[in-house]
Amino acid sequence: MLDFFNDHTLRTVCLGTAGIGAVSGAIGCFAYLRRQSLIGDVVAHSSLLGIMVFFLGSYLITGEGSKSLTVLIPGALLAGVTSLMLTRWILAQTRLKPDSALGVMLAIFFGSGILLLRWTQRATPNIPGKRGLEDYLFGMAAAMTNSDLWMIGVLGVSSILVMLLMWKEFKLFTFDPVFAQSTGLKTHWIDTLMLLILVVGIVIGIQSVGVVLMIALLVTPASSARQWTGHLGTMVLLASIFGAVCGGVGSVLSASFSNVPTGPVIVLVATVLFLVSLTAAPRRGLIARMIKRRKLEKSAQVVAAGGNQ
Amino acid sequence: MTLILWTLAIAVLTAVVCSLCGVFLVVKHESMIAEALSHAVLPGILIAFLVFQDRTSPWLIISAGLSGLLMVWIVQTIRKTGLVDGDAALGIVFSALFSVGIICANVGLNRVHFDSHCIIDGNLAMAALRPFKINGMEIAPHAFVLMATVLTLLVGFIAIFYKELKLMMFDSALSQTFGFRPAMLHLVWLALVSITTVSAFEIAGSILVVALMIAPPATAFLLTRRLGIMLVISSTIGVISSVIGLYLGLWLDIAPTGPIASVAGMIFLLTVLLAPRQGVIAKFRRRGIQRAYLFQQLLLARLDGDDKNWVDNDALANAVAWTDQQFGRTLSVCRNRNWIDESSSGFSITDKGRDYLVDTMDRL
Repeated sequence: MLDFFNDHTLRTVCLGTAGIGAVSGAIGCFAYLRRQSLIGDVVAHSSLLGIMVFFLGSYLITGEGSKSLTVLIPGALLAGVTSLMLTRWILAQTRLKPDSALGVMLAIFFGSGILLLRWTQRATPNIPGKRGLEDYLFGMAAAMTNSDLWMIGVLGVSSILVMLLMWKEFKLFTFDPVFAQSTGLKTHWIDTLMLLILVVGIVIGIQSVGVVLMIALLVTPASSARQWTGHLGTMVLLASIFGAVCGGVGSVLSASFSNVPTGPVIVLVATVLFLVSLTAAPRRGLIARMIKRRKLEKSAQVVAAGGNQ
Repeated sequence: MTLILWTLAIAVLTAVVCSLCGVFLVVKHESMIAEALSHAVLPGILIAFLVFQDRTSPWLIISAGLSGLLMVWIVQTIRKTGLVDGDAALGIVFSALFSVGIICANVGLNRVHFDSHCIIDGNLAMAALRPFKINGMEIAPHAFVLMATVLTLLVGFIAIFYKELKLMMFDSALSQTFGFRPAMLHLVWLALVSITTVSAFEIAGSILVVALMIAPPATAFLLTRRLGIMLVISSTIGVISSVIGLYLGLWLDIAPTGPIASVAGMIFLLTVLLAPRQGVIAKFRRRGIQRAYLFQQLLLARLDGDDKNWVDNDALANAVAWTDQQFGRTLSVCRNRNWIDESSSGFSITDKGRDYLVDTMDRL
């Protein structure tokens, strides 16, 4: 089916998805280190409601639902941030634990998102532009247009820039929030900023990976990168390389089969990378561990033999 | 019974099963297990479907249960290596398994009944159409029999092991010292949760399983602190949201899954606002009442402590330094209750006011 895409389209899609993977991978490192992977999952699912509301909004205003990411990403951002704020509010107001509060957000935001999605698909009279809305669930990278790429590029580059500018603060807050606060940093703002960047890192992937599986593009490259290094800078760099590879390879692979959504393919590529990292990484990896244990056993035997003489 | 009534019955049973199960997950802070399991069972269902080509085959449930347990096992193995943080391991594994399922669905089963609609939305609307037959007699829809069996199993388990479960949830260490083997019980419990997830998955789809397993129990959690009552409230809310959601779905002419999930979520939000004791509005009102109470006492104490009998309005207002509104309201309440006297030269505390003040001070 490769002929179906002329080279230019495939190149655009592949580069775009690789870029998304790089940004999400880098941002995912902080989410991984702060143990916020499930927050990422909930934000990704929640963004569906924002997408649907903004799609229907554009239909009401212009008479045709817009699937341009310049319209939909602000909606996704808004829904993601709202679900996070609502979670925080619920945690402050009740004695519920974060896992339950996040689970309820799934019910509210993803449930209503699906409700609107199905209604839009069935509504009479026909809502123009509704075809392909389903793709936001599991991703369809081939649907990306040039203006979508611009939107993704601007958001991705600016969030990476913010991350680099605030590097020291982010690092300190991630590893030792109490100390960060004691040095006089406004930790509340740093936390909010990091969450905002996390939401950006998630919503740029809705087109290519889809809301259901976006968590994997966030967490899997980061966990893989963590196996190869103990240094934050290297980890972020590696994770973004891994993310880019997953995005690029995954989108090309899914384009070569007909009718396979991009998201699952990207996720499986990421999973393979993760398994390789888990086993083959130097020092931390399972093989390296086994070799180390063998060596230890050998030297223990030597010591024991020496003791017997 | 008519089709719609059967559908309603199936929805209600599914809701009760999920929300009973979820109470324990919410109490034990394991809600995300529901999210992970509801994704991880997909490849099992699809592989069994590919092999047996029969949606009602019990192998679907067995194989889905196995893939759920496979997920739990992989996550435990990864956690044991200490290389990946627990939540991340859960996320990686369930999204990988789910991806396998989605790809199977799109490659192998295209245009068979398992499309992505089914995976997300389930098939509640069609569930009542497939009959369960004994000796060729159609007794009830297959899904109804299935969910009734799971419900019996679940209620039986909870009833028999209620004490042990409760102890395990709240104090696993104590349970261990009593010799109840909490680890064993937990494993059995997880197996039961995955059976529930699997049986509900085909009917309700992945969102609804999560929504019903977390939203009604979380709502019940806000309304009571007793586990038994929580189970009752949770299943009641599950039933209410499934009935409302089903009719909402019918009215909008869409699969009832999204509506049921969002109704359950909305009931939760309403409860956060309106719960009688822990609700936001109740707390706000309580704080308001306490504040007014404190203002009254401060005013009385100020008047009581003054040497002069009469304190004029401006002096009193300056002394307490509240906003005009607070001052005026407090003054009028005190006057209405005859705690203070008013004359042209100002205010003074009455005997009744003094008694009240002494009384409250004593109580402190």
